[in-house]
This record gives sequence, C-alpha cells and structure tokens, in this order.
Amino acid sequence: MKKKTMLIDLDRCIGCFSCEIACKNENNIDLGVQWNKVFTMGPTGVFPDLEMYFLPALCQSCENAPCVEVCPTGASYINEEGVILVDHNKCIACMACISACPYKARSFNGKNQVIEKCTLCDHLKAPDKPACVKACCAKARFVGDAEDPQSDINKKIREVGTKNIHTLPDAGNKPTVKYILSDKTAKWHDRKSWVFFPEKD
Amino acid sequence: MKQLKMNRRDFIKATAVTGTALSFSGFGSGMLVEKANAQEQSGVQIITTCCRNCTAECGVLAHVKDGRVIKLEGNPEFTRSEGALCVKGLSGIQALYNPNRNKYPMQRVGARGENKWKRVSWEEAIDKIARKLMEFREKYGAESVFASTGGGGNPNFMSPGRFCNSFDTPNWFEPGAAQCYLPRTLMFMFCYGGGTFYNSDTSLGDNNIHEAYDYNNLKTKAAVLWGTAPSYSGPSQAGRVLVENRARGVKTVVIDPRFTPDASKADVWLPIRPGTDVALGLAWIRYILENNLYDYDFCLKWTNMPYLVNTKTKMYLRESDIKKGGRNDVFVVWDKKTKSAQPLEYPWNDSFDVAIAGTYSVNGSECKTGFQMLKERAEPWTIKKAAETCWLREADIVKAIKIYSEKPSWLSLGVATDQNPNSTQMAHCAAILNIIMGNIEKPGAALQRFKNACRSPVGTDPLMNFLSFDQLKKRLGGTEFKGMMQWWTGNVAKHLNALKTGKPYKLKAWLERSGNKMGTLANTYEWSKVVHNLELIVHMYMYPTGFSPYADFLLPTNEWLETDLPVDCFNKFFPRQATTHLYETVNEYEIWAWIVKRCAELGHEQCKRTLDPKETAPQHPTFVDYQDQLDWWCKSYDMKWEDLKKGSVEKFPLSEMKEYYVYKQIDPKTGKPKGFNTLSKKCEIYLETLITLGRTGAPFVKTPLPPAPHDYNPLPFFIEPEESPNRPVGKEFPLVMTNGRLPFWHHITLRNIPYLREIQPVADIWVNPVDARKYGIEQSDWVWVESKRGRINARALVTEGIATGTVYMERFWNPENINEKTHGWQEMNVNVLSRSDAPYNEVVGTYTLRGYQVKIYKAEGAPKGVWTKPEDFEPWMPEISKPTKRVSGVVK
Ligand code: SF4
Ligand code: SF4
Ligand code: SF4
Ligand code: SF4
Repeated sequence: MKKKTMLIDLDRCIGCFSCEIACKNENNIDLGVQWNKVFTMGPTGVFPDLEMYFLPALCQSCENAPCVEVCPTGASYINEEGVILVDHNKCIACMACISACPYKARSFNGKNQVIEKCTLCDHLKAPDKPACVKACCAKARFVGDAEDPQSDINKKIREVGTKNIHTLPDAGNKPTVKYILSDKTAKWHDRKSWVFFPEKD
Repeated sequence: MKQLKMNRRDFIKATAVTGTALSFSGFGSGMLVEKANAQEQSGVQIITTCCRNCTAECGVLAHVKDGRVIKLEGNPEFTRSEGALCVKGLSGIQALYNPNRNKYPMQRVGARGENKWKRVSWEEAIDKIARKLMEFREKYGAESVFASTGGGGNPNFMSPGRFCNSFDTPNWFEPGAAQCYLPRTLMFMFCYGGGTFYNSDTSLGDNNIHEAYDYNNLKTKAAVLWGTAPSYSGPSQAGRVLVENRARGVKTVVIDPRFTPDASKADVWLPIRPGTDVALGLAWIRYILENNLYDYDFCLKWTNMPYLVNTKTKMYLRESDIKKGGRNDVFVVWDKKTKSAQPLEYPWNDSFDVAIAGTYSVNGSECKTGFQMLKERAEPWTIKKAAETCWLREADIVKAIKIYSEKPSWLSLGVATDQNPNSTQMAHCAAILNIIMGNIEKPGAALQRFKNACRSPVGTDPLMNFLSFDQLKKRLGGTEFKGMMQWWTGNVAKHLNALKTGKPYKLKAWLERSGNKMGTLANTYEWSKVVHNLELIVHMYMYPTGFSPYADFLLPTNEWLETDLPVDCFNKFFPRQATTHLYETVNEYEIWAWIVKRCAELGHEQCKRTLDPKETAPQHPTFVDYQDQLDWWCKSYDMKWEDLKKGSVEKFPLSEMKEYYVYKQIDPKTGKPKGFNTLSKKCEIYLETLITLGRTGAPFVKTPLPPAPHDYNPLPFFIEPEESPNRPVGKEFPLVMTNGRLPFWHHITLRNIPYLREIQPVADIWVNPVDARKYGIEQSDWVWVESKRGRINARALVTEGIATGTVYMERFWNPENINEKTHGWQEMNVNVLSRSDAPYNEVVGTYTLRGYQVKIYKAEGAPKGVWTKPEDFEPWMPEISKPTKRVSGVVK
C-alpha cells in the first residue's frame, strides 16, 4: 500500500513561512484557517547560550488515522496514495475528527461549515509537487511514498541516517511525517501534546 | 586623479561614470524556457517574469487564465533563487488585486490631510503638476522642487534622480542611501575599488557574494554575517544559499542583537549592543594584527599599508615629496636595508626590504606607514574593552575571530550599521577586515571582479551631467556630506530642516514615490508638521499610504505583476513582464518622463534637451513611450523587448563567469598588473581619498566644491551613540532600541496583505524576560514604547533572543486606519521614536534609526481601530477586476 507523506529537515529550515503562504495560496484557504503552520521552538536556554529551531506543523499523515476511524459519514477517507482527505460533500462538521486528532491538525472552516486539512496537495500530480515543497526557501521539505525505497524521503533518510530523525508523540496513531534535527542545530523538544490549529490567543 | 569606478546598485549600473552602452558580443545561446507563454491545455498561460517585492528579483512563473493571474511559482531557472519564493513574492496576487489600490489619478478636494479626492484624467494631472513646477522654478528657483523615492515596492529607482537632473534641481533623497547601503558602497569603492558588477561589496541583500551561490564548488571555510539576517531579509536567495553553505561545512559567525534564524544556526552568536559595532570592528582588527592572523604578503604587496603617510599633512608621501622632479603618483616606502624612504614604483620593487610598520623621519617630517596608523588607531580596543563596550563575552569574541581566520573566508556587512552615525566607519572596518585577511579575488572570497559581460543595462540613466554646477552647489547637505555624491542624492535631515526653517531656501514642491514616508523617515511627527509648508505634494504608488492624505495628487503605479523591465541574474537575462494590467496604473518611469515632457512644452529648455538622443548620448533620451525605453535597454542584448518577453536568455554558462585574481592580470597597455580601481591601484586601508573628497568632492566632481566643515577621518573611529545607556538620557530611557527585518515585509510595504497580516497582525517589541519583569510586562501584553520624540504601541514578545537592556521593533503602519486622524502611521510606527537630529555621519550624513534610547510600560490595550484577528483582513482579499489597456498618449 502506498503512503504519501512528508519529511522536513529542520537543520535546513530557516523559519521563512513560505510554506505557510504557499499553502494558503495554492488551496485558497480562508482567513483564520490554516493547514500548515511554522512554530518557533525556543529560543531556549539562558541568554546568550540559546537554541532555536522551527517546526512546520501539518497533518502527520497517520498510518492508523484516528480521524478517519471516528468519522461517522465516511467523509474522512484515505485515498489510493495513502493521503488522508475530507470529502466536503459528506462532511457534516460534527467535529469528531478534530477531537480524535492528537495534534489538532484539522481546522474547522466556519464560513463553509466543513473540516479542512492538508491534502498533501493531492490535486498536483507527480512530477508536480506540493506548493509548500516547491516554494520552500531552504529545500527543507520532501514529499513521497514512505513505502517506496526510491522516493525522495527515503533517499534523504538514507543520507542522514536514522539517528537524527524525529516524530511527534505517537498515541498509537503512528504519524508518518518525519523531522530531521541534529543536536548541532538544537535539541528536539519532546512536547507531550500539540494543538496546531487554531492558534491560541 | 583617476576616476574611481562606482559600485553596484541598479541605478548605478547605467551611470555615465561607468559607461552606459555595453556591447554583448557573441550574444545568444538561446531561450531557456521554450514553453514559456505556450498555451497549456487547461487554458492556463505560464508567463516568465520576476518578482519585485524586494531587490532580489526572484524568477517567477505566473499562471494566467482569462487575463487573470491565478498562481505564482518560483522559476527554477533563475540562478539566484532556484525556484524558491519568499512570502513577499508569494503575496504578489493579493497585492495586485488588492481592493485598496490606487486606481486612477486623483486630485485633493478637501484640506491637506483630510483625505478627500476627485478623479482626474492623466492628462489633467500631468499638466497641472508641470504648470505648478514651472511656476515654482520661475519664482523660487528649480531647487525649490524636490523628489524622493525609497527601496520598497517596485521602484524604477533612478527615475526621480533623472527627473531632478533634467529639471535642474539638486534635491532628491531616499530614506535609505546614507541609512542603507551607501556607506558600504562608498567605503568598499574607496578601499577595494571593485568592478561595476556584483561582489564589489559584501552586502548579501544586494545580490553580492557570488561564491556563496556556487555552493557546489565551495572553497569558503568561514563566513561572518555582521548586522545581516538573510533568513529574514532574503530567504529565497541569500538565506537559501547560506543553508547550502552551512550544510557543506562553512562555519558562521553572526553579529546581531537579535537571535535570528541565522544566529541560531551559527557557530558563534555575538549579540552586540546596537550602535557599538565599530568598537568591535577595531578590536577584531587589533587582535588580528597583534596575533599575526593577517595575510602579510598581501598586505605588503597589494595594499597601501606600507606606504608612508606624513602625519602632519595626513597625506601619503609621493616621490615628488622626497625628490626634485619626482612623480606625484608614485608612493613612498621605508627601505629597511638602506634605512631610507624610497619611491616604490607600482607594483613592486624587489630590491627594497620594505617595512610594513613603523614611524620614521623623512626630511625632518614624521611619517608612519599606513599599517602603523591603523595599528595605533586600533590600539585602545582590546578584546576586554570591546567586550565591555559592546556587552559581549571576551571568549566569544576571540572564538569568532578565530573562526573568521580560517581562510578563505568572507565578512558580510548588512544594513544594521548603516543606520547610525558610525555608518561609514563600520563599512570601513568591514572592508579592512576582508582586505587584511587577503580575502580578495581568491576562490572562496566575497570581493571579486567576475566577468562583467552580463551586467544588465537596466537602469534609468540618471543624466547627472545635466545638473548644472551652480545648482549642485545648492544641494541640501551636499557640501557637508560629499560622500552622498556617489549616489548623487541629498541629505534627508537637511530637507526636513529646510522645510521647517525655510533655510537655506524655501521648498515648495515634493514629488514622492515610495511605500510610506511617514513610516520610513526618522522622527515622523516633525515631518507631519512641515508638510503643511509645501504648496504641492505628489504621491505616486500602488496603493494609498499614511503619506497620501497629505498629497495634492495621488498617481496610481504598476504592481510588479503589471511591470515590464529586463532583469539580470548572473549569467542570464530575464524579463519582468506584465502579466496583466489593471485600471489606469502606469509605470513610475512614465510619470517622470511625462512631467519632463510637459515641462519642456511649457518652455523648460533643459527638459527639452533631454528628449534629444544627441544631447543625452551615450545616455538615453527621455522616452514618453515606455516601449521605446524597453527596446533601448534590450538593444544592449541585440534584441527587442518582444524577444526577451519570450523567455530568459543565457549569455554564457555560469562556470565561465568566474575570474579570480583579476588584479594580477597583465594590462596590455602598461605591461603591469591591472591592480585595483583605487588611487594607488592597491587595496587601500588608510584613506587619503576621504580627505580629498571632503576638501573638493573628488572623484565625483571635476570642479572643486567648497570644502566640508572639517576633514573626514581617513581611518575608522568609534563614537559612543549620542543617546546611550551610558549617558544621562539612559536614566529616563533605559533601553536601547534596534530595528531589523522580518520575513513578511520589505521596508514599509505589504502591511495590506491579508495572509501576511494574518501571521503578523501587529508590531511586536522583543523584550528580554528580565526587562519584562522589571517593567511589569507579560507575554503579548500591549505596551507603550516612548522616546524623547514620541510614543507608540507595540505588543510584547518576551524572549531570551534579545539582550537585557536592548529592545527590537520592526517598522510598521496600519493601512486599516488610513482614514482616521492618525492615518495609520501614529499607532505602531517605530520611526516616531527615531532621531533626525545631529550627530550625523561626517561623510554621508547618516542619522540615527537604530541605537537610541526608549522606555516601555504597560498599555491598556491595542490602539484604536487596528486589526488583529485574521477575519479582520477580509476587506483586503483580492477583488476580481478585468484587465485594462495600458495608459498611453498622455503627452504627445
Ligand atoms: S494528524 Fe490528525 S488529521 Fe492527520 S491523519 Fe493524523 S489524526 Fe488525522
Ligand atoms: S502539502 Fe499542500 S496542503 Fe499540505 S501543507 Fe503543503 S501546501 Fe499545504
Ligand atoms: S518554507 Fe521551508 S524553510 Fe521556510 S519555514 Fe517552511 S519548511 Fe522552513
Ligand atoms: S526575495 Fe522575495 S520579495 Fe524579494 S524578489 Fe525574491 S520572492 Fe520577491
């Protein structure tokens, strides 16, 4: 089975927000709704001995996606490439998926009364790539099939080794999005819980 | 004296000084993007163009359907960006279709500042403006008319200057120049005397340091980012290549009060106290000399450091000073063998044992080598003293210097140090630090003279020679700050003063093109008072700004997606071509040309002469039809604009562009090495040229101007900021304010872009937790920020990423409040707080935009009317509008 997902190299990421804006442009996302957001991790430490990195947050493309499991109408589904999508014709905005998502990686669009999320730019078929990958200033984002050893992400993982690869906390949902971060840049923050969207005031 | 070559900046590219008409032999290796403009099945046309939301001009592929731009992507063929786009570029569509654009020419109907308008035709606007200008010229002299521009938002940079030279007024300025880049272009020109293309200085924000872009052939071992934050200011170009450099093992040092993304990835971060960079620079120089980390051979043979300076006259000794009938272009060294002063014929004389250091007596006069002068200047600046002055740790400074000593290395100086009166001194330090390490024209170094052949001629020729000498003498600040002549501009503070006092003469008309002078000029409240002393204000821009309400005419200009202009990128040419055209917007170039034409018709003889190519040659005449201008530019590529529009053109492979050690190449005319474009043909450290500049204006004018009030200092020196925590003012205002980029904006632009304001809705002030506790401030609290000049609001960002005692804010204005009494510039505009008063930099007149004192305290809440929630920005979401025909025939 195919599993399209993303790998983000945080040693390269410079927190430029291009992925955020490229995503909003490509998917015509309403104000107040986000599918992809760059968190600033830090600075931590005591001045001037500090560390900081950026964590672009998006749907973690779970292998056991709880959002799909809890959806009562089948609006949330997994397509043939392994992308988790929402069929807006079927979505009743019951919010079950949002509650089930351990990272709150889904957003409620109040205007259209539907749930939205990163689609891995499913409408842009290979060789085209997701908007955030193309615009990324640091060439830090890689997309591909986790099951295909020749995909961009697996090539990159082979290049850097497994030591510096991180994932967000796994509550059995098995996130497939991976992040590269080495100690030279900063120590990985082991945050227990995440709320990607919406931003708290 | 030898005419020095000017440095690189769009407008300088085409000056008369460096020569205009470049010929490109062997042109034409073909179009790169063959499918450009081809109809795709979906009905989407992909148009090759280039961004202009900042100076980097990244390549863009614009997707256009039914005349409407629907998508922007980076152009992977564009060497500098390789397909990346920053958030400013990605905002192109929201800028283009912003409902808030200036759409038609407007004339004021209410009182000045009331913001009431009526639509007029272009013909009427141009005619009325020209008539007024002619009237002022008649009554008060041409100098009563001044112009201004600014770096932000799609400028045709030299157009205002060209207009002023045509009209014969010496007065125009930009808020940058002496506060942005000019200190560096000037000092690197004097010290290094590079070419006319990239790499003549080390500003990453101005497309320099090509070696960093060629990251697959990397020779560089270490890089110093001094007051520059490429991840913030230019992520898709300089920020991007630094990622590649670091990934390939280049060590970096970042000197910045802020913990920027680049600082977080650096090997050493030096969070310097704003305004004290020269102290640190002198300490680096002292340490490098003392510990023999410099390149002795290069300093001896290829710099003017061994040349003897007469300490009384401050000038270099010439052969003519020590020998009857001696030449005055041959300098003198101390020969240790004969213990005597000897003329050293360029380039070198192996029979001497030349002393690099020392004090000697020559014919009874005390003389020192340039090296000795520098050493003595740096002497007080021990690491310890610099650490105390700059709020740094000694060990960190030493570690940073040691990293920089891993050669080849480069030291890039950003805009930060251009923004206080120590500006040219720091640029001088940066040039010295590159030179004494021998980081010159060798693989891996920043300063290079790579092949010039791809230099784009795209710059509006400035017609500097049209400004009469009598008028030049009247330039505001021109005599005092002669270094400004490199850019041929006047001094900002002296304009403010003339507006205030009517001295040395009255100013009557202000023609302005930029994103918001009320956001970029220091001490904004002062400006808002003096604008009422003017009789005519014209503002041309893509949308109304906080400055617009004070204008008499508002003229709509093109967004970059509506603009035609050739763009250069190393070895390639690209078109920035119009993807559509909306309303009655025009290219800024056209407005200035039309005014000149109309003035000519009304009897302005000199304006009339600019229309005649025979009069302006080799510079271009004033074209009233922009198509002719485009073809003129493309003539240098042996093509028409219509040809370039088809796609980018590669002149030669990138690999052929590099040319190292140009100074060693033998000049067939002299049989000697070419050397550098400086007075001595060597890299210069002690700058006699600065003294000559102050006394006469050379090399920028042939006839001497009256001398500056005092001689400019030939070596760098540090002045403690006038407002500093170490002075009495620090009692009431204890915090040092600094400034600097965020990824979202270029200068004061783009505050009307919904997606950007969604991320950064308001201005943040960075405060260290220690200071936050001290002043009772918590994360995200609204605060007042106050200086001696006024107060504004900001939202507190409490972070360890800034030192205790320092705060940081980016410029801001609130277009949502344009119709309020504040016009949106009084709420969070940090330049309400900055200083337009003395002291000024002695060479170029820099005032203080960074490194002054403020205090902060809690505010009740957000300023009235400002938008803070994402949904608030809905009114600025793109408004669908049909393409229109370009405006033409305004003047016949
Ligand atoms: S991250 Fe959330 S939305 Fe994405 S697949 Fe996992 S549970 Fe579903
Ligand atoms: S893959 Fe597409 S939808 Fe997902 S974050 Fe990137 S741009 Fe947005
Ligand atoms: S575009 Fe790339 S470098 Fe920029 S924030 Fe996103 S992932 Fe990081
Ligand atoms: S860096 Fe950004 S704003 Fe500047 S030209 Fe490139 S895309 Fe445009």
